[in-house]
Amino acid sequence: MTLVTEPRRPARRAPGPDAPRGAPDHGAWFLVLPALIPILVLSVGPLLYGILLAFTDAQSGRTEPTRWIGTLNFQDLLHDTLFWESFRIGLVWAVGVTVPQFLLALGLALLLNQNLRMRWLARALAIIPWAMPEVVVGIMWRLVYNTDAGILNETLRDLGLGGGHDWLSGLGTALPAVIVVGVWAGMPQTTVALLAGLQNTPRELHEAAAVDGAGAWRRFRTVTWPALRPVALAITALNLIWNFNSFALVYVLTNGGPGGRTRLPMLFAYEEAFRYGQFGYAAAMGCVMVALISILLAVFLVGRLRGEAKGGDKA
Amino acid sequence: MRTSTAARTGQYAALLAYLVFLAFPFVWLISIAFKPPRELASLHPTWIPENPTLDNFRQAFDEQPLLQAGLNSLLAALGAAVIAVLIATPMAYVMARRRGRLAKAATGWVVVSQAFPFVLLIIPLFLVLKNLGLINSVPGLVMVYVVWSLPFALWMLAGYVRAVPRELEEAAAVDGAGRLRTLVSVTAPLLAPGIVATALFAFITAWNEFFFALVLLKTPEKQTLPVILTHFIGAGGVADLGPLAAAAFLATLPSLVVFALIQRRITGGMLAGAVKS
Amino acid sequence: MTRTSTRIVTLLACAVLLLAGCSDGGGGADDGRITLRFQSLAWQDESVKANKELVREWNATHPDVRVEYVQGSWDSVHDQLLTSFEGGEAPDIIHDASDDLADFAYGGYLADLTELLPARLKSDIPHHSWETVTFGDGVYGVPFLQEPRVLIANATLLEKSGVRIPTPEHPWSWAEFRQVAKELSGDGTYGVAWPLKEPVSATLNLSLSTGGKLFHRGTDGKVTVRFEEGDQVVPRTVHDQVDTDRSASPTTLGSGGSDTLPGFFAGKYAMVPLGFSYRQQIEQQAPEGFDWQVLPAPAGADGLAQGVSPQTLSVAEDSPHKEEAAAFVDFLLQPDNMVRLALGDWMLPTGKQALKDPALHTTEHGWATGTALAAHLRSAPAQSVRGYAEWKDKVATPALQEYYSGAIGMDELRHRLEEDGNLVLARYQR
Repeated sequence: MTLVTEPRRPARRAPGPDAPRGAPDHGAWFLVLPALIPILVLSVGPLLYGILLAFTDAQSGRTEPTRWIGTLNFQDLLHDTLFWESFRIGLVWAVGVTVPQFLLALGLALLLNQNLRMRWLARALAIIPWAMPEVVVGIMWRLVYNTDAGILNETLRDLGLGGGHDWLSGLGTALPAVIVVGVWAGMPQTTVALLAGLQNTPRELHEAAAVDGAGAWRRFRTVTWPALRPVALAITALNLIWNFNSFALVYVLTNGGPGGRTRLPMLFAYEEAFRYGQFGYAAAMGCVMVALISILLAVFLVGRLRGEAKGGDKA
Repeated sequence: MRTSTAARTGQYAALLAYLVFLAFPFVWLISIAFKPPRELASLHPTWIPENPTLDNFRQAFDEQPLLQAGLNSLLAALGAAVIAVLIATPMAYVMARRRGRLAKAATGWVVVSQAFPFVLLIIPLFLVLKNLGLINSVPGLVMVYVVWSLPFALWMLAGYVRAVPRELEEAAAVDGAGRLRTLVSVTAPLLAPGIVATALFAFITAWNEFFFALVLLKTPEKQTLPVILTHFIGAGGVADLGPLAAAAFLATLPSLVVFALIQRRITGGMLAGAVKS
Repeated sequence: MTRTSTRIVTLLACAVLLLAGCSDGGGGADDGRITLRFQSLAWQDESVKANKELVREWNATHPDVRVEYVQGSWDSVHDQLLTSFEGGEAPDIIHDASDDLADFAYGGYLADLTELLPARLKSDIPHHSWETVTFGDGVYGVPFLQEPRVLIANATLLEKSGVRIPTPEHPWSWAEFRQVAKELSGDGTYGVAWPLKEPVSATLNLSLSTGGKLFHRGTDGKVTVRFEEGDQVVPRTVHDQVDTDRSASPTTLGSGGSDTLPGFFAGKYAMVPLGFSYRQQIEQQAPEGFDWQVLPAPAGADGLAQGVSPQTLSVAEDSPHKEEAAAFVDFLLQPDNMVRLALGDWMLPTGKQALKDPALHTTEHGWATGTALAAHLRSAPAQSVRGYAEWKDKVATPALQEYYSGAIGMDELRHRLEEDGNLVLARYQR
């Protein structure tokens, strides 16, 4: 959501003069240092350390010394079908959550942009999934999905659709069930971002189009969407990355089960490190994940810049 | 606006569907929190508890150190929020007002850090904190939370700084105020609402955080609420549903309340400049 | 607005400082007294109570060595212990299960108890139980509670069907069990519901009765997986019950034991294979008038033999007070106390003295049946194999789950257990 604050930035005065005008950056360093040190020590440093670890056989226990093993971890990883399966599940999960999340959020944002009566209620309710700890979200949906005591099966039984589904532990249903929770949990944030974007679209254009007799769909395509596009792209890309890296929901809901069907890459690497104690191997997994996510991020940035250029033309 | 009745009805139906989808899991959680064990074991659960009881809440407090966990969560979240804002505000100022290499690097880090898989961070972080003796300590966790909440704090605060008219600062400078004084006496007060919103948002994020707490906190008397909540799930995934729901409900209340307080500001902040809603 | 905001920030800052001050104040005072931390995983009410009472009694009689009760959780114990050991924050006395100890023992985090334990305790617990906690040359835990897997049956349905009721002397064979399950099925009732959320330990442990071994140590000391005839009887029986006979419920395959209970009480399942300790939950939750009984698990070529991973008490290598910790373990495991722990957890004690206690031989709640099985319990296969945990979670669990649900056949199951499995094990045996 953070990126979304950008569109509201008041028009800047012509850029340029400030850098030369200020004294050489001594003052700036002084202001930046308090944040810079923790960033270097606890974020950049560990990241580099983590990359180094990936080339060692670091593991838990103190009986074996840690050695450099070159790229052996990466070779193992290449043959680790379970990891790639997990990676595939991670992609299915990330896309499977992000796309419905976006569509549903877009629908809700369009509704909330109308002059409807229960809008305040929808807003109030929308904060629930957003504000809730992920662990509680997971627990809550466990209660919903519970085979016997859950409301979902009971509702299905009442509707005569048959009951007794073992949602979270059925091999076929676990991943879809978890994806629904992911959509639920991330929808509000996306909605708010899109709503912000929507309210930035010039209403006059809308009205002009309506006067011209353009239907709702055409108005959406020609007026709303072009204005919304940069926001939509940004939030979607961010969602994709966040979802790919998500952990707590699945940890609480299924802990990767049944049979590894919901073992997202994060969970996989967590287990490798903190359950089996294979720190080096897990770090190698982390590196591979970073590399692939960076590619995603690069694609997103390129797309976003292009989108913004277009948006700029419009305004 | 000319909208046909049929379309209006459709819109309300859709909105209603959204409301149900968003609300029902939470309603169910509350329902379970007030149900006695016999009703929980029933094969035909009901929405409304037939014999509502507070036993689950009592049992939840008996079974797990919820108060201590709440205190730990509060400490971690407050600490993270305050420190994050204190150190982020000056840096955000630089990011917003300058365009040197430093500001660029900072902005780059903010964006790139969104892509870190925590796992690559947590393994070395764990080993670093271990050497500092900060495993299983709330201050250690606070440090991690501070760094973890910096990217969005920087981003939000930089946005707020840009909204402060530069003329005000320039006027103060003309009056002979030093840069630091200008910052403290002119810019900071104008930023205050934004700073509070950012701090509260950091508070919620830390209050809700699970992954780092899970890895870094090892004993029940140090653990935060989300970690303690998972302890209600016993051997083989067996959960004592009633107390679990009760505790989960309680753990959510603070973030709901805080969020309700700043919701207008967060969403409002994003919507500012848009057509009045 | 701005002034209030500033005030809020100031207030928050003060609050943090205050809280930080409070929370750091409570460190252990150094007055020569020793404080040991005992992390217990007890979770059922009665057993938490029994553990806490014993700690209180110890503290009352040992003013110099105070024991502090710390509540752990089975669900996350392995991760929690591993990171605690690594971070130097492990409790002094550690409650766990023998199949979870291998990595910690080999990693050098658990104390070798050989010299620390009194002769009384060593001779009280039988040799085959000690085997479960022996890794290399050392003994890294004291096995103290164990439970056989039993069949818990709906007595009313069983009687109505007229099948022969098995006893520890005359158990069912696996074939007979399959036949009985078929006879008990029909009319909305399944003969059996297998709760196989954790399919590996259930399958491997029961397979000892049919001569299963699965893990074979070569002459070079390296362990490999071979899934042979003796290993296949139990999986095949379960698979056929679910997919051919339809005498086992397909929906419980992913469930934990407790999840099957509502259906069991409602008469949906005639029998449920469960750990002996589930009797406590059944007793607590069963509707009035529900009649149930305990039957021994089916027997195979090797009789009633069954693998078991006893619950254990270990001492951390880092503990500065290992002798005191061992003394506390000895106190907890005095025959009388062991009986109290066993009754609290509805399990069987490993100690020979404790096992003689009359309270464990009543027919009520099937105690006598379980106690009669104690002599047939062996060390679970493979628990001393390094990498077993990862093999179990990543390879065997999914493979067995898919096999039971009918998604893959026996050949594919064998392929996965062996090929994928040996790849994982190889990483640990370089």
